[in-house]
Amino acid sequence: MTTQPESFVNRSRIMRITSALALLVPAAANLHAQSVDDINLQVHGYATQAFLYTNKNSWNGTDSNHGSASWTEAVVNLSVEPESKLHVGVQARYYLLGDYGNQISLDWAQLDYKVNSKLGFRVGKVKSPLGLLNETQDIDPAHLWALLPQSIYPIASRNSLLSHYGGIVYGTLPLGESLGKLEYAGYGGERILSGSDGFFQFLRDAGFTLPNGTNGPTFGASLIWHTPLRGLKVGATGEYDHENGEMDLAGMHGTLEDGPFRTPFFYGQYEKKRWMVGGEYQRIRLNSTTRFPGLPAFVNEVDARNFYVMTSYKASSKLAAGTYYSSTMNLKAPVSTSRFQKDWTVSARYDFNPYLYAKAEQHFINGTATGFNASDNPNLQPTTRMTILKLGVSF
Amino acid sequence: MKTPLSCWSRLRSLFVSFCILSALAMSRHAHAQVTVIANNSVSASELSSADLHDIFTGTTTSIKGLGDVAPVLLKAGTTHEDFLTRYIGKSDAAFRAGWRSLLFSGQSTMPRTFDSDAQVVEYVAHTRGAIGYIASSSPHPGAKTMAVR
Repeated sequence: MTTQPESFVNRSRIMRITSALALLVPAAANLHAQSVDDINLQVHGYATQAFLYTNKNSWNGTDSNHGSASWTEAVVNLSVEPESKLHVGVQARYYLLGDYGNQISLDWAQLDYKVNSKLGFRVGKVKSPLGLLNETQDIDPAHLWALLPQSIYPIASRNSLLSHYGGIVYGTLPLGESLGKLEYAGYGGERILSGSDGFFQFLRDAGFTLPNGTNGPTFGASLIWHTPLRGLKVGATGEYDHENGEMDLAGMHGTLEDGPFRTPFFYGQYEKKRWMVGGEYQRIRLNSTTRFPGLPAFVNEVDARNFYVMTSYKASSKLAAGTYYSSTMNLKAPVSTSRFQKDWTVSARYDFNPYLYAKAEQHFINGTATGFNASDNPNLQPTTRMTILKLGVSF
Repeated sequence: MKTPLSCWSRLRSLFVSFCILSALAMSRHAHAQVTVIANNSVSASELSSADLHDIFTGTTTSIKGLGDVAPVLLKAGTTHEDFLTRYIGKSDAAFRAGWRSLLFSGQSTMPRTFDSDAQVVEYVAHTRGAIGYIASSSPHPGAKTMAVR
């Protein structure tokens, strides 16, 4: 069986979706001979540039231990509303982070039909509504933090976790004034992990390559209770995944099977006046099986317990500051500094005006489970301090 | 040479000037009070401040008793700032960051935004379900006033 290169498969998929949307948008607009203003055509975007410095290990191949500016992102978002209930949008991104990215990718491209607040549908390449921050984890202007807690939102795997090909049904159900509201989402489709995803870094370090990445079915459901106490929400998400892919090692051709596995998330957030406190817990338990002809199957067991707690304070309309503690621990990994990571972070953000902002962040990291590759750090150290300065503009 | 009496007199003049300026500033602020307006298709004539908050933060697009609604914004100015302070409880930067989250995650588009009260009134008067805000002193022919509980 011949296989297409990963970039070709993804490009072809992206082409199909964008072509469908490109045909759909004018068709929907012409249906009622609407003008550009009538369909509420909007173009928005943002761009960020970061400077990184680490005192010991290099982070995600950025050569940050010598000071690095190789973290750049630029996003363009195009949307129209041919009807008040119909929203069609597409978002593209240029992304560079050390060893990852340096390419233009499709964040999402979707058709959204909202019957009312209680029921809506999205189809296309849609953002996966899992956890507290997944749907906004790529939106730098929306966050105080320059880098979200890496225990649950590892940036080298962001493109894989952010969205899936398929659909979502969603809505918010009022429970009465004394009980608040219940926000729900159910989703399904196909999740694709690129061969260059951060989850496979340990395989690449060992000499394996995944020419097409992995893909497979994904299903999930999310419930968020907006409690009667304004500003307090608690929620849970469960996701099922089963991904397969091909892999190569020194001329041998084999397969990789991840799962099937279920990932639960539990989270809560409380916002009152200038304060925000939040936290999230996630457990990933899976068997990752590698098979090569003539060799016994190798099973890599993972049981990772990940969580973070965070708080922030808006000192003024322009200045905000906060701190978080993020922890990851893989109980099945051999005892070493690469089985865990604990990260104390302090952060500040200053908005010069509604369009331009700057962030400064300091990380005190113990452990090397996320973002510190053996291939980039032949002399891997157990602790690292990382400074991030970031400038962003949005319109 | 300054006497204690002349110093006291100078202090008293400063105090009186401060009071007059403060009163002027407060009266200016009073003129910037906000009126919430809606298209005549919106069935009710009043809504709760919680519903108004949800509509203008993109949390909901449909309110029981009002039907489908769409927020309309002023781009900037005292009326806009007063509206955010009084009903949303956020700075302009935080307010727009919230909408950007919805926009960039594909959950919504940015609300229609206009430079002047007159433009807001014109749009609200002719758009089904539209809800906006203007200075209380601005006329709003064709749009109804919404009382906020």
